[in-house]
Amino acid sequence: MTTVERVRLVGEGVDRVDGPLKATGAARYPNDFNLPDMAHAALVRSTVAAGRVRGLDTAAAESSPGVLAVITHRNAPSLGHGPDTILSTPPPPLQHDRILHYGQYLAVVVADTAEEATAAARRIKVDYDEAEALLDMHDPRAEVLVDPFKTDSDRGDAESALAAAEVQFEAAYTTSENTNSPLGLFTTVAAWDGDTLTVHDSTQWPGNVRTALARVFGLPENAVRVLAPFVGGGFGAGLRPWPHVVLAALAARTVGRPVKLVLSRPEMFTGTGHRTASEQRVRIGATRDGHLVALHHESTTTLQMEGDNFEPCASGTSYAYACPNLRTRDTQVRLNITWCNSMRAPGEAQGNFALESAMDELAYALGIDPLELRLRNYAEEHPGLGLPWSSKALRECYEVGAERFGWSRRDPEPGSMRDGDQLIGYGMAGVSFFWFQQPCQASATLREDGTALVRSAVTDIGTGTYTVMTQLSAELLGLPLSRVAFELGDSDMPEGAPAGGSGLTAGLGSAVQSACHNLVRAFLDIVRHDHTSPLRGCEVDEVAVADGRIFRMGSPGRGESYTDLLAAHGLHELTADGAATPGTSEELGIAPAGAFGAKFVEIRVDPELGTLHLERVVSAIDAGRILNEKTATSQILGGTVGGIGMALFEETVTDRDTGRIANGTFGDYLIPVNADIPDMQVIFVGRPDRFNPVGVKGVGEIGLVGMSAAIANAIHHATGRRLRSLPLTIDMLL
Amino acid sequence: MHEFEYLRADEVGRAVATVAGDPGASYLAGGTTQLDLMKDGVLAPDRLVDITRLPLGGIACDGDMLHVGAVTTMEELAADRTVAERLPFLRQALLLGASVQLRNMATIGGNLLQRTRCRYFRDPAVSACNKRLRGSGCAAVHGAARMHAILGASQHCIAVHASDMAVPLVALDAVVRLLGRHGERSVPLTEFYLLPGDTPDVENVLSRGELITAVEIPLLAPETRSTYLKVRDRASYEFALTSAAVALRLDGGVIGEARVALGGVGTVPWRAPAAEAVLRGAPAGEEAFTAAAEAAVVDPFTVEGTAFKVELAKRTLVRALRTVTAGAP
Repeated sequence: MTTVERVRLVGEGVDRVDGPLKATGAARYPNDFNLPDMAHAALVRSTVAAGRVRGLDTAAAESSPGVLAVITHRNAPSLGHGPDTILSTPPPPLQHDRILHYGQYLAVVVADTAEEATAAARRIKVDYDEAEALLDMHDPRAEVLVDPFKTDSDRGDAESALAAAEVQFEAAYTTSENTNSPLGLFTTVAAWDGDTLTVHDSTQWPGNVRTALARVFGLPENAVRVLAPFVGGGFGAGLRPWPHVVLAALAARTVGRPVKLVLSRPEMFTGTGHRTASEQRVRIGATRDGHLVALHHESTTTLQMEGDNFEPCASGTSYAYACPNLRTRDTQVRLNITWCNSMRAPGEAQGNFALESAMDELAYALGIDPLELRLRNYAEEHPGLGLPWSSKALRECYEVGAERFGWSRRDPEPGSMRDGDQLIGYGMAGVSFFWFQQPCQASATLREDGTALVRSAVTDIGTGTYTVMTQLSAELLGLPLSRVAFELGDSDMPEGAPAGGSGLTAGLGSAVQSACHNLVRAFLDIVRHDHTSPLRGCEVDEVAVADGRIFRMGSPGRGESYTDLLAAHGLHELTADGAATPGTSEELGIAPAGAFGAKFVEIRVDPELGTLHLERVVSAIDAGRILNEKTATSQILGGTVGGIGMALFEETVTDRDTGRIANGTFGDYLIPVNADIPDMQVIFVGRPDRFNPVGVKGVGEIGLVGMSAAIANAIHHATGRRLRSLPLTIDMLL
Repeated sequence: MHEFEYLRADEVGRAVATVAGDPGASYLAGGTTQLDLMKDGVLAPDRLVDITRLPLGGIACDGDMLHVGAVTTMEELAADRTVAERLPFLRQALLLGASVQLRNMATIGGNLLQRTRCRYFRDPAVSACNKRLRGSGCAAVHGAARMHAILGASQHCIAVHASDMAVPLVALDAVVRLLGRHGERSVPLTEFYLLPGDTPDVENVLSRGELITAVEIPLLAPETRSTYLKVRDRASYEFALTSAAVALRLDGGVIGEARVALGGVGTVPWRAPAAEAVLRGAPAGEEAFTAAAEAAVVDPFTVEGTAFKVELAKRTLVRALRTVTAGAP
């Protein structure tokens, strides 16, 4: 079999296999499913952030045209609790009268049409016993969770080393809440057939939704099927089974008809999670020649009243640089806010802004080039584990990125580079992304017509999973791309990993590799004692595959085609399962590396009006093996755009008094438009990763990380002003 | 959505009679504001009278006056040759507004009557909004304000009039032609809008059912220099934080006629006559520009989120004045 050592770093940028479906509108997203006799649901949300429901007047809604049912906590059945994975499932809705955040669901109205359901939902009058909401992360009454992720780290004696350092630096940084805002409004279409439930859902993890619904409704898992062949984006929002999914299924069961529930954009803002705000403090001790001797990073993020949110902002600092004395602390503060949840690069996006801004500040304090300072503190091995990295080409990222960008043309003096009245700023940031990978399963089938079908219950949220897994399967089975189909988005398929943590391609790729190897082995098994077969007695590591044939390694003539093998043994098809669980550093003796990157940006600032224009961005990325140059580049570009949004525009504003989301529409919550996006270049460097059997590290999130710091650093370079609070807006630059 | 009746008007007088005689009726033109507000539950008319098929379109030039029918779309007006030649800052303002898709739907009359973007006005879950319900208070004053007014504003209301187009139009002394139950009248645009005072729900002088049928826009003299500068958080498809419409005539480095209006900062499109008075007869230069900016932004009412707009509005005007006078002989 081919092994990763022999593959190219960057795989061919073939077009998306699902591109024509999407371009012609034939790809069916959850919202595109309409079932016979389907009813529609609309939600009633709390307009207070804390308290109890004193009264619910549903009479007008119940008598509204087309209304089939109104479900509230007073008539809802008792529901079970979904699973707690790396992200807990929110508690089932409508189980009590207690209100913990603005926008919490208080009722669901089911009607013949969506318009009737919405109109009726507006007629429901809610009386509240309002309680004082905790909305300020400095509120002394708020519960503080210390080390909630068990990621706090200590090395050496960080306090003494800081106190004794030749140069000491300290600064505080804040980041705003952001909302994921995928274009596709989250939709659930639920249909019951007796005690079996089928759900079309906007999810990044069908298997988890399946398990959640099974537990909520007390069903065996095989009585629930969750389908998500196409999802209109997620950025993490689809990682949890949200209460609206339960409500759609509950509504369908109540009225005995299929029910569709489409969230509105304002409901997306309160019901599908958001990136937390953070307050961070970085303290650095260094020698005058720029060697770090102490590194402290403390972070506090916000958290909703129930459940968890994995958002370590400080812990990434523990492996970003070589520094003998280190202290990272993450804490969370519980508030009456909507659910916090993963949003592209959770924790890392905020933590990197603080650390990489601080490194830039230190560089100026020391009079050292910011890029040089990073190189002087390069972590050659994993600083926490003391093991070699499974792969790390961050140095190459810096060097290649700087060369492509023209970093050497930078005059370090702030305000020294101009274009007429405009100030020019160059800024950069380094990125050491976390490693994350989940177990995953897949199956592979070869059919008598010579085509292969590979499947796993994962999702493609626009990332290119369909395409890269088709490519990988074709390579592993020795088939042309056109003879391979990859299917996903169905919880009845082999258990899939979540499309999150930049870990899907690594985890799924490993499972696909396992399934394809097992399939070849299955073919070898059927000829194991066949004296007429040139493959008799061969083991899987003694053969290679190409052109639809298995043959003895080094002897292309001594082999047989899949179709001949099937025909000769009277088989219509042959299937094998595959599974992959990531190894451990103890077993492998290496530290698992996430992706690395270097970001370089050039900006123009109009100092009189405070306006900022991005000129260009260069991203140099080490993500291990790149399966498809085109889709991977798109991932980095998309991440970069998201990073521009986080840096310059995005801020989910919560009303101080009420906990209401004050800008929960696309007219009010600004995301970048095309005119804000400059020329963006992406360069992949490095080698296939040694920790992952396929050699990949994942590209889903790293493109976003580093943009905030690189832009803030460029602003300092352009204007001499150090901005430490996101987003970086006109009023700060006046 | 609240159920409503849709009527397509076939005659102007009947349309006016229908809306004037029915408190539940509203006109429907491009619908780019109205339908949003209906979906959000802010407006709930029982009857919509579609006026887009009425003979209220068309752009005609009569001497130094441009007659623009009320249902002319923003794109049509922006594409007009006379506008490009004689009202360049109006064309700029039109093209810096909304998006092409919206400009192809939105009409000139509707643009003038667009409702504020204030999110507290647009969310019926917020109870305190004097513009929606007189006397209920103003949540924005204590809330998240950024896209809000600093001129003409008070504790009662800080909602901004967000039109770009209306800013050069007030500077130009445009006149709106109105048709009501009791006949026609003309109102200068500068007198058309009403400051919110303690009745922010009353936004203009229109009586029940009165319809804008046309806008009359005086053309700038050929030697006039004009510009519209819009400052906003993102580069496109976003309302102004501040904007300035400026039209000047220079005579040997001295400013003759001066027309100045500000956008993004007023509860109504904000003509700045005091700034014009400062500029008129002054040598074009930083001293006059700065003095004009000081004169334009007087007694601002600010809240935490809008305080920066005082300085930004002044700088925006100074920049516009500098731009429009650049290269002058």
